[in-house]
Amino acid sequence: MNISEKLAPIRKGLLEFVILKIVAGDKVYVADMLKLLGPTEFATQEGTLYPLLSKLRREELVDYEWQESEAGPPRKYYKLTQKGRTQLSTLNDYWKELNRTLADFGN
Amino acid sequence: MQKVVTISLNGNSYQLEEPGFSLLRSYLDRAETRLKDSPDRGEVLGDLEQAIGEKCRGMLGPHKSVVSTTEVERIIAEMGPVESADEKAANAAADGGTASAEPASYGTEPRKRLFKIREGAMWGGVCNGLAAYLGLDVTWVRIGTVVLTLFTGVTLLIYIAMLFIVPYADTAEDRAAAFGVPFNTEDIINRAKKNLDETNHRWHGEWRRQQRHMNRQFRQMSEQIRQTAANVAPSMAPAARGILTVFIPIAALIGAVIFVGWILALISLVTQNTIFGWGLPHGVPLWVGIIGLFVLYAVISAPFKMVRHGGHHPGWAALSGVVWLGCALLFFWAAYYFFPGFHELVDQLMWAANLTMSTISETIV
Repeated sequence: MNISEKLAPIRKGLLEFVILKIVAGDKVYVADMLKLLGPTEFATQEGTLYPLLSKLRREELVDYEWQESEAGPPRKYYKLTQKGRTQLSTLNDYWKELNRTLADFGN
Repeated sequence: MQKVVTISLNGNSYQLEEPGFSLLRSYLDRAETRLKDSPDRGEVLGDLEQAIGEKCRGMLGPHKSVVSTTEVERIIAEMGPVESADEKAANAAADGGTASAEPASYGTEPRKRLFKIREGAMWGGVCNGLAAYLGLDVTWVRIGTVVLTLFTGVTLLIYIAMLFIVPYADTAEDRAAAFGVPFNTEDIINRAKKNLDETNHRWHGEWRRQQRHMNRQFRQMSEQIRQTAANVAPSMAPAARGILTVFIPIAALIGAVIFVGWILALISLVTQNTIFGWGLPHGVPLWVGIIGLFVLYAVISAPFKMVRHGGHHPGWAALSGVVWLGCALLFFWAAYYFFPGFHELVDQLMWAANLTMSTISETIV
């Protein structure tokens, strides 16, 4: 088992955090999210992303609005809710804390 | 040639090749099973459908209206396996160290079952299912069946019995069980890909290449005759030219007669084992007779075809086409009324066509 495989559950757990970060910027469409994630360690697919986004919406962390597209039917554009923003800053703090802890252990 | 299935994804219709449609249906069935316990099931499935629809649209263009099976495979591979985002499923996946949440996917050895398989079937899918069950190449199973049928009629009875008794592998699970392999989406895709590459591309491609080659040769020959005729024409007396142009419709007429005669001979051979009362020589099997008829027709009709297509005026070619079609229709009409075997065959074909049409319209979502 190589490192990438070993850490797969961690990346999986972090995906939600990453999505909140992406959505925090501008309103985004799923295809654009996938494009952003593609070259990174968090590369993912619609099969994973749609269920996750639906869950986040159920938890009222993100919301979407329909927007017309030049080609085809209207698309869902996701954005962060107020609750999501609070959650994101909590996660950010927690992540920084985690990093500090990890760094301290090495010495 | 592929049958095309029209589907509706989130309010837009798309045309898919049939094996591709089966793949997509398996994928969505699978997604639905995975999301069984999720409260967002309906929404996620809608999103997935829209994403698939958008990808389908990306594959199409002004001169391309059907999404091929290979493209559907690519779309499904891009979409990736559907994973429920809810705690329970996510935990199960983390514990197992794999994306799959179903315990049935691993642990126990998958059990093989006998099914009829529609994908890539010639007729009922019996041979196809048998080949999957025995782990043999389907071509060998088909050849075996045909050879056995020639030696003993019991094979045919067994085949028909299996047609009724053995169930169709309709769901993704069934298909996996038919091949006796673990059931997950990637496997289904890989298997379909392998089968398609092997059967479709190879045989289909080879057949088309042959066909193109024959057509090219035929055109070249016609062209030569046309050239010769064109060279001769100016030096010909107008009367001679008139004879040649008159002969074109006559050739069309003879061609039509030969065509209808050939069809009737085929029917007669299949239904009564004789060609208009003339039986096959002793020991010659039926299929040799049928192939012989095909060859005979090709040989006899070739000169008339060449005369028709070799006319030096394009208008005459069109006229001869119309004459040919008219004659063929007339003869078909006559045969339908005066030849009971032909009558029955047409009725059966119409019935089968009706059945197929209603099946297709039922499968359309």
